[in-house]
Amino acid sequence: MSNENKPKGQNSKLGDWFRTFDSLKIMKWSVYLFFFLFLVLPLFSVFLVSFTGQPVNILGSLVNPDIMATNIERLSNASLEHYQSLLGGGTYFYALRNSLGLAISVSILVILLCLPLAYAFARTTMPFKKTLAALCTIPLIVPTFISAAGFIIMFGRTGWVNTIYQSLGFDGLLINAYSMTSIVLIQVFFFFPFALWPMVAAFKIADMSLEEASNNMGSKNWTTMFFVTFPLAIPGIISAALLIFTVSFSDFGTPIILAPDGLNLIVVEAYREISGFFNWAGASILTIVMVAVAAIFFWLQRYITKNKDYGTLSGKPKGMRLNDSKWVTRSLLVYTCLILLIPMFVLLSVLVQSFATTWGADFLPRGFTIAHYATVFTRSGDNIMNSLLLAGGALLISMIVATLVSYFVVREKTSKLDFMSSIPLIVPGIALGIAYIQTFNTAPLQLTGTAFLLIVAYAIRRMPYMIRSTMGTMMAIKSDIEEAAVNLGASKLVAIITVVGPLMLPGIAAGSILVFVTVIKETSITVLMAPADWAPMSLMVFQNLLRGEVYTASAMAMLIIVLVIILQTLANKITKNSLY
Amino acid sequence: MGSVKVQNLVKKYDKATALKGVDLDIKEGEFYALLGPSGCGKTTTMRCIAGFEKPTSGEILIGDKVVNNVPANRRNCGMVFQSYALFPHYNVFENVAYSLNIRDLYSGSMGQRAKTFARLMSRRLSKPTKEIQRKVHDALEYVELGHLAERGVNELSGGQQQRVALARALVMEPSVLLMDEPLSNLDKKLRNTMRTTIRRIQQDLKITTIFVTHDQEEAMSMADHVAVMRDGEIVQMATPTELYSSPKDPFVADFVGSSNIYEGQVMETNAQGNPIVKITDNIHLVSDTRTDKKDVKVLVRPEGIEILRKGSTVKSENVVEAKVKISTYLGPTIRYDLELEGMDVMVEEEFQPNTTLYAEGDTVSVHLPMERVVLI
Ligand SMILES: Nc1ncnc2c1ncn2[C@@H]1O[C@H](COP(=O)(O)OP(=O)(O)OP(=O)(O)O)[C@@H](O)[C@H]1O
Ligand SMILES: [Mg+2]
Repeated sequence: MSNENKPKGQNSKLGDWFRTFDSLKIMKWSVYLFFFLFLVLPLFSVFLVSFTGQPVNILGSLVNPDIMATNIERLSNASLEHYQSLLGGGTYFYALRNSLGLAISVSILVILLCLPLAYAFARTTMPFKKTLAALCTIPLIVPTFISAAGFIIMFGRTGWVNTIYQSLGFDGLLINAYSMTSIVLIQVFFFFPFALWPMVAAFKIADMSLEEASNNMGSKNWTTMFFVTFPLAIPGIISAALLIFTVSFSDFGTPIILAPDGLNLIVVEAYREISGFFNWAGASILTIVMVAVAAIFFWLQRYITKNKDYGTLSGKPKGMRLNDSKWVTRSLLVYTCLILLIPMFVLLSVLVQSFATTWGADFLPRGFTIAHYATVFTRSGDNIMNSLLLAGGALLISMIVATLVSYFVVREKTSKLDFMSSIPLIVPGIALGIAYIQTFNTAPLQLTGTAFLLIVAYAIRRMPYMIRSTMGTMMAIKSDIEEAAVNLGASKLVAIITVVGPLMLPGIAAGSILVFVTVIKETSITVLMAPADWAPMSLMVFQNLLRGEVYTASAMAMLIIVLVIILQTLANKITKNSLY
Repeated sequence: MGSVKVQNLVKKYDKATALKGVDLDIKEGEFYALLGPSGCGKTTTMRCIAGFEKPTSGEILIGDKVVNNVPANRRNCGMVFQSYALFPHYNVFENVAYSLNIRDLYSGSMGQRAKTFARLMSRRLSKPTKEIQRKVHDALEYVELGHLAERGVNELSGGQQQRVALARALVMEPSVLLMDEPLSNLDKKLRNTMRTTIRRIQQDLKITTIFVTHDQEEAMSMADHVAVMRDGEIVQMATPTELYSSPKDPFVADFVGSSNIYEGQVMETNAQGNPIVKITDNIHLVSDTRTDKKDVKVLVRPEGIEILRKGSTVKSENVVEAKVKISTYLGPTIRYDLELEGMDVMVEEEFQPNTTLYAEGDTVSVHLPMERVVLI
C-alpha cells in the first residue's frame, strides 16, 4: 500500500506546484511588475540622475554590458555638486522658496476663508445648504489653467474688472493677472473645497458634550465657539491645511499661465529645464525636491488624521444643536455667496469669451458668435477624439490594475501593493513626467514620445482614486461569496471573473468616470509628454492660450468643463455618496 | 466514497492555535454534528475539510483519498454557509445552476465553453442547456422552491434563501455536505421546519453530512453522531442518547443539556455492588455507575428526578427532603428550583392537568432513581 503511494505522492507534488502557481499568482506578479516598471524604476532613476547629472539607464544595464559599464562609470562620478546650487542660493533655491511661500500662503488663506463656511455647513441652519454645497464642488471641476485663463479675462491689462476699476476713476490695475497675488487668489478660490469638506467633518465630530458643558456653565455662544469648538476641530483643520499645501505646491496649471518672468516657481522651473534645455541634472534635482516636499506633507497629514475617521459623515450626531439665529445664518449665507461669486465670475468670463467676437477694453464684448465653437468642432475634432481615446486607455489600465490591487489587498492582505499604489499621491504630475521622460528615452524600453507612455502616466497618476473606489466595493463583498463559488467548483480566477467582478461593478464604474474626468483635465503630464499627433483637448487649450488664440481656447475650455460636469454627475449618481 | 476521516488535525494561526489535534471518523451516509461553544474551532475544522484553510499538520481523507493538497474547488464538498453566501447578481435559478455551469466551463468543446462563459456573465447572452434546466428544476422542487426560480435572491425570505443555498450545494451531487450553523439566522419556528427538511433530504439522498452548531438541541435531534468540541479538541464522540445518558465529563454533561452536578466521594459499595456516594454528611446516594475513582462528579438530569406526591412512597434509599425555592410553569413541563442542604437542585416534571404546583417554601420528598445518578 505505502509502496504504491510513494511515486504517486511525488507526482502530485509536481502537480501541486503547477496548480499553486496558478493564474492568480501570475496576475499578482504582473501587477508588481507594472508598478515596478512604471513607478519605482522611474523614480529611482531620477534619484540616481540627480547625483550623476547624466542619464542612467538601469534597464539597459540589465541587457547590455556596455551600457552597464557606462552607467557604472557615471555612478562612480556621482556627487552632491548638483544639490549645492539648491542650497547655495541659486535659481533652484529661489524657486523652492517661492513655491513654499506660495503653498503656505494659500493654505493659511484657504483655512481662514473656510472657517466660517465650515461652521455654516456643519453647525447652522443656513438656508440653501444643499444648493450651496453643490456649487462648492464646481471650483474643483475646472482645470486650473482654465481658471487662470479666466482670471486673465478679468484682471488682464484690458480685463473687464480692471476696466470697471479704471472707469471708477482709479489709476492702474486692481490686480495684475500676471503676479504672485493672482496665483494665490486662483488657488485659494479654486482649491478651497478640498479643505471645506474635511473641515465640515471636523466641526461635526468635535465633541458636543464639552460644548454643552461650556454652555451650561453660562458661557455665551460665541465664547464657546472660539474657546471650545475651534480647538476641538484643530486636528481636522491642520490636516486640511496640509492637504491644501500639497495641492498648491504641485499645481502646474496656474503658475505656468500666470507666473511673470521674474517669478521662479519650482514646477515651472522643472518644466523649463526638461522641455527647454534637456537639463537632466537640474530637472531630476527639482523632481526629487518636489517629491520629497510633497511626501513630507502627505505623511504629516496622514499622521495627524491617523485614528481619526473624518471620512464618515453619516448624518448628524445625535443631540447636535444647530445655530438658527437669523442674524448668523443670513450673514453666513451672504458670505458663502460672496466666496462662490469669484469662481463663478471666472467661469462666466470664459463662457462669455467663448461666444465673443472680440472683447477688448470694454465691460462687454463687441458682439456674440458661435464661430469659435464651429472652429473647435471642425479643426479640433481630432483633439476631442484623442482626449477620449487617451482617457479611455488610461481608464482601461487603471480599471484592471485597480481591481486586482483591491482584490489582493483586501483578500490576501498584500500591504506592499497597497503602499506602492498610493505612491502616486505624492508625486506631482510634472515630477512623474520628468521621471518618465528620463527613464524611457533609450532602449530597451524606448517609449518617450509615445501615446502608450502617456496613457500609462495618466493611469498611474490617477490609480489611487480608482483604487479607493474599487477597494470600497471590494471590502463590501464578503469573502464567503467568493468561497461559495470556489466551493461550487470554480477556480479562484473564475470566481473573481464571474462573481467578484460583477459585484464590484458599481465601484469600478464610479472610479472609471473619476479617472476619465481627471485625465481629460490633466495638464502637467499632458503638456510635458503628449506627442504632437496625439494632442488632447487640454493641450490644445494650453497651446492656443500661449499663441494668443484666446477665443478658441475658451470655447474648447467650455467643452472640457461641460464634459467634466456631465461625467461627474454620472459618477455621483452611481456612488450616491453625496455629502448631504 | 463519501466517508470523511480527519486525523490529528492541527491548525495554528499567528497568535492562536485553533485546532489542537482533531480526530473524526465519519462513515458514508452518516449525519454528523460538530457541537461546541463559540470559538472552539468548529468552523475551522469545517473550513479545513472544505479546503479553505490549510492545516498546519494532520491529514484529511475524503473517501479514502488524502485531500490535503487538493484545492478547494476540486474537493466536491457542498457547503452551506451560515450567511448563505448566495450570489446577489444571479437569480435563484442561476445560483443553483452555478456549479453545473462551472463544470461545463471546464469540459466540452471550445464553442460550448464560450457559451457557458457568456451564460455565467449574463443570462441574456446564452440559454442554459436542457440538462442544466432539468437538474436545477429537480433540485428546486426538492426544496419546495420550484415556483421561485426566476426570483432575485434578495427578494426571498431567510428560510427561502436557506433552501436556495441548500439546493445549490445539492445540485452538484457532492460527496460530502458541509453545513456551518445553517439555521442560526432563522427564527425558532422556521428552524424547526428546516431541521426536518434537512434531515429528510439527508436520509433520502444518504449523503454524508457534517453539521456545525452550538445548539445542543439541534445537534441531538438531527444527528446520528455528535462530536462535542472544546478549545480545539474533540471531547467526546457518541450517539445523542449515549452523550446524554453517559457524558464523559462535566463539560459535556452541561453542554448537552441542563443538569445538576455535585462533587462527591465514593464511600463504600452496597450489597448489590453499587457504589454509595457521599455528597454532604447527610446525603448519601446510590448510583449504578461502576467506578474505581473515589472523588467523583455526580450528575443528575432534572427530568430524572421525581417529586413524590403526598402519600406515595418508593422503595429506594435515594429519597431526600428539599425545600421549594421557585416554581416555573414552562408549558409542557414545570421546573422547580429546590434547595437541599444549601445546594441547588433543578427538577423538571411533566405538567399533568388537575395538579397544583408546589408553592414557594413547601417541603417535598424527592426521589433520585439510582440509574439516573451518574458518576463521572
Ligand atoms: N483567521 C484567523 N486568524 C486567527 N485566529 C483565528 C482565525 N480564524 C479563527 N481563529 C481563532 O480560532 C479559534 C476557532 O475559531 P472558529 O471560527 O473555528 O470557532 P467556532 O467554533 O466556529 O466559533 P463560532 O461558534 O463562534 O462560530 C477562535 O479562537 C478564533 O479566534
Ligand atoms: Mg463558526
